[in-house]
Amino acid sequence: MLFKNGLLACLTALTLLGGAKLATAQETDQVGRAAYLEAVKGKKVIFVPISQGMDLNQAWVTVWQRHAARYGFTLEVRDPNGDTNAGIRAMQGAIAEKPDLIIVQNPDVQTYARLLKQAQASGIKVLQVNMQSATQTDSYVGNDWIEMGRLEMGELAKHCTGPNAVSHKVVWLAGVQTGAANIYMRTGIDEVLKANPELQLVSDQPADYMSEKARQITETVLQQHPDLCGIMGIWDNAEVGAGAAVAAAGKQDQVTIVTNGAGSATGCESIKNGLLDVIFNFNAPIQGEIAAQQISELLQRPERQAGSEKTIFFGPITRVDKDNAVGRNCWKLDDLK
Amino acid sequence: MAGRGKPGGRIGSVQISQELVVIAISVILFAVFSATLNNFLSQGNVIAILKNVSILGTLAVGMGFIVVGRGIDLTMVAVMVVGVAFSIWVSSWGVDFTLAVICGALLAAAIGLFTGIMVAVAEIPPIFATLAIASSVYGSGRIVFASDVLYAPPNIAWLKFVGNGSVFGIPMSVVMFACVAALMAFFLRKTRFGRLVYATGDNPNAARTTGLPTRPIIVTQYVISALIAFTAGIIMTGLVTGIDTRLYNSSLIYDVLLVVVLGGIGLSGGQGGVRNVIAGTILVGILTNGMTILNFSYTSQNLIKSVILLSALAIDAIINPRDEQTSQSGDI
Repeated sequence: MLFKNGLLACLTALTLLGGAKLATAQETDQVGRAAYLEAVKGKKVIFVPISQGMDLNQAWVTVWQRHAARYGFTLEVRDPNGDTNAGIRAMQGAIAEKPDLIIVQNPDVQTYARLLKQAQASGIKVLQVNMQSATQTDSYVGNDWIEMGRLEMGELAKHCTGPNAVSHKVVWLAGVQTGAANIYMRTGIDEVLKANPELQLVSDQPADYMSEKARQITETVLQQHPDLCGIMGIWDNAEVGAGAAVAAAGKQDQVTIVTNGAGSATGCESIKNGLLDVIFNFNAPIQGEIAAQQISELLQRPERQAGSEKTIFFGPITRVDKDNAVGRNCWKLDDLK
Repeated sequence: MAGRGKPGGRIGSVQISQELVVIAISVILFAVFSATLNNFLSQGNVIAILKNVSILGTLAVGMGFIVVGRGIDLTMVAVMVVGVAFSIWVSSWGVDFTLAVICGALLAAAIGLFTGIMVAVAEIPPIFATLAIASSVYGSGRIVFASDVLYAPPNIAWLKFVGNGSVFGIPMSVVMFACVAALMAFFLRKTRFGRLVYATGDNPNAARTTGLPTRPIIVTQYVISALIAFTAGIIMTGLVTGIDTRLYNSSLIYDVLLVVVLGGIGLSGGQGGVRNVIAGTILVGILTNGMTILNFSYTSQNLIKSVILLSALAIDAIINPRDEQTSQSGDI
């Protein structure tokens, strides 16, 4: 009797469990997920960066690799390590392999312009990140560089105009003059300079994204213009050099240093150390997520011809100073994994 | 000619060497800039000129030392960035920074030792040996460190002193450059080893035939130049709180070589000394400073720099024409 009851109970339990399992499977099959997985699975994405040694690149790739591993597409990084010729070879190699998508960060507006046309002509979709080429392709995800120029020079305009300003003298420490960021930021800068005619641009030289070069230029300019009011730059890791020169001259209270950056913790450290005052943080992990959304869109629509639609997505820009140099404004690579 | 610059032509009783030509151009530029640019002649700006060439100058002293011995060391920038980046990387495990710097110096010395052995014992021409080693050193560093820019830990008192400190109003970076230069000058001129370096550079085969220990001399030279490169890296880390390994990709190593050749140390070896290096360094320093003040664009700066440097070499070629007597085998 006991055995019979036990058997009955077991059977009932099994039936219920089985039914429940069936019901769960039906209810939780998220709408469209299977089709999405099917669309991106096994797709091949190649990324040709400027250099993977930069914080922003590391953030992007960490984010994309997470997506690739989770949803089954492959991401290969062909790092030319800052060498334009190696970059051209990497692009040519990538085009020859006919991947589903090429992601590219352009060293300047011209170098890859023709190659990108060639890639699109051979049916490969192209997503450009943060640094644009003269050729527009399927998608661009990155900074609104004109706005960046406006924001940075606008910040200096706040400090260096009006009766209380120490002077109206400002410096623009450029990056590489042929780079997209440089060209477009300059447009934004010129707009602000036009609107604030008393601002005086006393030096406009590229530091080539190198901190020591930025330090040397700043040191020389400070000798020439001891009443300098502000410096704006293009990458926090380079402008620490400008900060060091200002600190060495004991003018940290007088000179405002504004730059932009990927939002990594090292930038926040530089603010805390007093080397930088304001970083317009373009949050590379969020940029990476926006680009990942574009990757999945471009992969999900194989019927769409390469280059047939051209879209642009500007990422967020957050003003970070010593009051908010915390938390998500200061990411570490390990947090993104 | 050991210990002096390249032989020169004469004007009256004055021997005109390339070094003198360079000094003359420096003086003219200095005078022109002083007359035309505000604050150029100020004490602060003169110190800024020296400070801005301290790294270039320190590297050039090391390079000059190698070139005197008829070698060339293209690994210097790679050793500088990788040595210091290695120190910072070691310190990121929680090792005391000073200890980590000693580790970095040992690594630099080990690379120098390897380079020296490749050149002296394996007898690979130094230009190829060092080119290949530079690339391997940088490449290995690039794989290990992941990031291009590495920041030294904050609040290291001695490192801050290197960057911001001064002795009698002279910045530490300039003092360190001066010390390296003075030590090297003493070493080359006053020690037996220094004289052996000249002998080896002047005619390696003759030096060896007469029984000089040429191989150990060459190996030691490369170890010393690697350590000088590491010192330059420490100066840079002090100045800008970190090291950017992408410097390897810049034209810095050629600038270093240029300073050495410009100052009058012939690539054929056996000639010149620290004074030549300082002459070349100061010319580049004055030129860069003046053009930065004038806010010349990057492209025009490079153009003007090249033209002035080329004219210095051309003037030297006119005053001191090469002939069978002055040219040596091995001159590049």
